[in-house]
Order: sequence, then structure tokens, then C-alpha cells
Amino acid sequence: MRQPPSWVASACSGFVRACAVVGVSMLGPGVWAAAVALWIWWGAGAWTWIAPFVWACIGTLALSRPVSRMFRSLVAKWTGTVIPGGYRQARPVTRMSTGYWWNGFSYERTRRDAIRDQKMRVRLTDPAVWRDLRFMGIAPITAGLIAAVPPAGIAAAVLGFSQPELSTRLIGVAGLVVAIAGAPYAWRSAEPVAVRFLRPSPAMALADRVDELTAQRADITVAQAAEIRRIERDLHDEAQARLVALGLSLATAEKLMKTDPDQATALIRDARAGAATSLTELRELVKGINPPVLTERGLVDAVRALALDSPLEAAVSAHVRLRLDPPIESALYFGVAELLTNAIKHAHATLVRITITRDGTGVVVDVEDDGRGGVAVRAGGGLAGLRGRLAVFDGTLEITSPAGGPTRARMAVPCESS
Amino acid sequence: MRIVVAEDLYLLRDGMIRLLEAYGHQVVATATTGPETLDALLTWRPDVSVVDVRMPPTQSDEGLKAALAARRELPGLPVLILSQHVEQLYARELLADGAGGIGYFLKESVFDADQFIDALERVAGGGSAMDPAVITRLLSSGTSNRRLAKLTEREHSVLTLMAEGLSNQAIGRRLFLSDSAIGKYTTSLFGKLGITDDDDSNRRVLAVLAYLNTP
Repeated sequence: MRQPPSWVASACSGFVRACAVVGVSMLGPGVWAAAVALWIWWGAGAWTWIAPFVWACIGTLALSRPVSRMFRSLVAKWTGTVIPGGYRQARPVTRMSTGYWWNGFSYERTRRDAIRDQKMRVRLTDPAVWRDLRFMGIAPITAGLIAAVPPAGIAAAVLGFSQPELSTRLIGVAGLVVAIAGAPYAWRSAEPVAVRFLRPSPAMALADRVDELTAQRADITVAQAAEIRRIERDLHDEAQARLVALGLSLATAEKLMKTDPDQATALIRDARAGAATSLTELRELVKGINPPVLTERGLVDAVRALALDSPLEAAVSAHVRLRLDPPIESALYFGVAELLTNAIKHAHATLVRITITRDGTGVVVDVEDDGRGGVAVRAGGGLAGLRGRLAVFDGTLEITSPAGGPTRARMAVPCESS
Repeated sequence: MRIVVAEDLYLLRDGMIRLLEAYGHQVVATATTGPETLDALLTWRPDVSVVDVRMPPTQSDEGLKAALAARRELPGLPVLILSQHVEQLYARELLADGAGGIGYFLKESVFDADQFIDALERVAGGGSAMDPAVITRLLSSGTSNRRLAKLTEREHSVLTLMAEGLSNQAIGRRLFLSDSAIGKYTTSLFGKLGITDDDDSNRRVLAVLAYLNTP
């Protein structure tokens, strides 16, 4: 059995695709044509146009999103070009302490009402609705028109060959030629048209960015509050309690000084030990808030100090003198600390290489270990938290960690060169 | 001894002066900023100085920088650095010139006044004195772990005290062992590490630290 030549295959598939593009893009004009037909059929009257007009509007609105979706999925399937929809997503509804449900817009008595109300409001306020409506008008006169050439050629051929005259037959032959020659190309206009008119507009991208930043800000506020609570608790339970105990010991020692000097001396010795312990605890606490070496020396030396203290063999190479904004330094420092801890605890590494470099756009920190790999970023895990803290500065965390190792982590934060 | 005290916090400076004077030493000058410290060290050339790491104007490592700068001018000028935190990184920088006369302690080490004054005198005599916290971290970090794996527990504790800057006699007192027993341990541990033993305790510390420092 012989294979059909490749141009036949591409003409056939192109023809089918062109028909699909015409079909999808002509849904809107189809609705409008039906409305006009209805109007004509009802006959001329002062108000007979109202019902068909309303039908056309509702039909266009209802079809706009499915048409856009179908167009996007056809383009993605045929060309691999994925065009993000950029539709506004509904936020989860939450139950307030009053028992009512908050959906981001209003309070509702039940969860179902809240979700229904939210769906409607999200639909109505979504700028994507206007974009999709515009596309309903644009698609038929651009991609639809071009893709209509091969089907029209076939139609001309069928009509032309059905008549016995020579001239119409010639028209039929011309139609056939146009259809076959145009079939492999006619549908391709769908891609540029979809990319141009169906991608999220700058305003939508901006709205997405605002949503993202709002969510980030909320995360940071929560994280900061938790951090302050932890510090308060640590100070309250440890340093403050110890100072109270210290004062007590000294007061008792003062009382006993005359009557029982031996016990007084023992109490004073205890007080001294207590003071030393509370200093150690405060030092640990301070280190967790902001390591002193970071303040004194900046990121590179702080990471060197961290590497020296690590139970791993950690080599640091940094050929840059850099002083970054303190919050960025802090985020990167704690990032390295987190990655080192992971290398010890999860990857069971023995060697770590830390490289700090700066490229055209910002600072890049690479942490590479010889452990067993298989590290993944899990929601709610330490690495996801790290990614979140870097995202505040538009920084990124990339991890490649095949099973069996090695693990490579790269933190990059954009910043102005200094 | 004639001592310079560099510390920006009044309470600590005042307490330090009282402590030193209670032990019969003389505080010849005080300094509260980095530049002042450098100036005082170079003018007075004290027998020993007590310098805080973090000082104005930048509130970074001004004191440490001043001490290092003064020692570049006057090699071996005895300096004891005090800090709220100790870092191996700083210890290595202080010991790097190999001139001795260096001490590095946490501020709370003054709680044990006898030991603190003892360390101060060791530094004044050209020896070195390191906070146990520095040495513990130095000996438990990655590279050291591998290299010191061959040592017995007793040899490890002798090495730790040696790195803090103690003499054989002092180590013996701490571990309740005779001088000769300590001598035996040091010989065996130096043999295991492949370092030549040295009678001078300062050179010995430097040899140990240099050994741990090499990658």
C-alpha cells in the first residue's frame, strides 16, 4: 500500500483546521444573523427589533468566553503556543467569627450565597470579559475570513462542476486550486490573531501583580506577627524569668550575708551562673533575629562565619565586595542557613560549596551539596517559606535535586549594582 | 600593668575599670570609638588592652579593625578582644599574623574574674587566650571533625584546653592530671596530627589552629 504524498496530508489536515477556525469564529456572526433573520421574519414594526437585539446581546455575551477558550485550546493544540487566559480567580470564602461568610465583596448568610454572589461579581468586574467580547467582533473579520478561503474554494468548485457551461467549470477548477493550495496555510492566521487579541492586557497583568503583592503582603504580615510573638515568648519565658530569679537570689544572699555567709556565697555563685545562662539565651535569640556578624561584616563574611560553624565541610567562594540592603542580606543569609540545615538533615551531605556572585541584574547565591538529592519544595515547608521570603524582593529560588543527588539550589535577587 | 580599655557602653567600661583596679592594674586610657581606640593604642603602647568589637561611629566591627590596624603598626601589641558573640572568622583573622599576644573572649567571661585576669596576663605576656566557645566551635566544625577523628576523648580535651591558650601546668590543673601525663598526651596527639610539638605554648596554639585552618 502506498503512502499518500505529504502535501495531500497537510492539505487535508489544513482544510479540517480551517473549517474548525471558521466554525468557531463564525459562532458570533451566526447568532447575529439569526437575530436579523428573526427580525425580518416578524416583519417591520416600530418595536419588533427589541427582542432579536436582546437575544443577540445575550448570545454574544454567553458565547464570548467559550469561543475564546476554544480558540486558545485549538491554537495550543496545533502550534504549542499557550496563551494564558488571565481570568480573575475567585478567592476562597471564609467564615467570620460572626458566623457570616465573607467572599471578598460582601457578607452573606450562607456559604452557597457567598459563592454565588462572588462568582457573579468576579465575572462582572473581570476585564477579561471586555477582551473576549472584542475578540468576538475581531475573530470573524481576521482569522475567520482568511480561514474561510479553502471552504469557499471547495464551495465554488462544487457549484461550478454542477453546471454544464465551460465558464462556470473554469471557475470550479480555479476554486479547487485555491482550496488545495490555500488549505495548508489558511488556518495559520489563527495563531497571531489569538496571541495579539486573546492574551491578558497590560491592565490585567497589572491587576494580577497587585493581587500577587496583596497576597504576599498578607503573608509577610502574618509571618512578622508570628515572629514577634515568638520573640516576646522567648524573652518572657527565658531572659525575664532568669533575671527575676537572679534578683531573688541576690536579695536572699544579701539577707543571709551576716547569718550564713556560706549559703550566701553559694547563692551569689548561682546568680552568676544564671546571668551567664541568660546571656547565652539572649545571644541565641539575637542570632535568630539578626546575626551580629551580618551587621558587622555584611553577607559574604556572615556566610563565611556560617560555613565555619557548620559541621559540614563548607567552602565559600565569593569574589565580590558587596553591601546590599539589610533586608536582602538577611533574607539571603537565612536562606543559606536553611539550605545548609537541609543538606545536613535531609540530604546527609558531607561537602557543601557556596558561591556568591553578582551578575548584570542582581546577586546570585548558589549552594551545592554532595548529598543524596530528592529535595522537593513542598507547600508549607521550609523551602516554600524561603521562596516566599525571596519573592518579597522579586527574588527566586530554583532547586534541581535528582534522586541520588547532588542538590543544587540557586537564590537570585535582583538589585541595583553598586 | 598599664591597660587601655576601649568600650563604648558606660556601664561596662566603668565596671571593667573597677575590676582591673581591684586586681591592682592601672587603666591609663579609655576609648569609646574606633578611631580613638587606634589612637590610644598607638600613643600609650599599653602592656595589654581590652577592646570591644562593636563601637561607634559605624556600630560595626570598628574595635576589631582598630586592634588589627594597631597590631600592623606595632606587631605583637597585646590585645584582648571582648564581644557579645564570638566568631571563628574573627578568631582566625586575629591569629593570622602569628605574632601572639591575642585574646578573644565573650563579655561574660569577666564573670569569672580570676580566670579573666589570668587570661589577660597571659595575653600581656605574649601568649594567646581564646574563649572556650570559640575553640569548641573550631574543633567541631566540618574540617576539624574529620581530622580529629583519630584522637581519643582525653587527647581531644587536652587539645581543646591547649587551643584556649593554657600551658601544660594549667591544663594539668584543670583535668586533675600530672604534668608528665599531660606531656604524654600532647606528644601522642601531635604525633597523630603530624605537627611538631613546641614548648612555647603560643607557637603550639598557632600550630594547632593553622593545622585546622588549612583546607
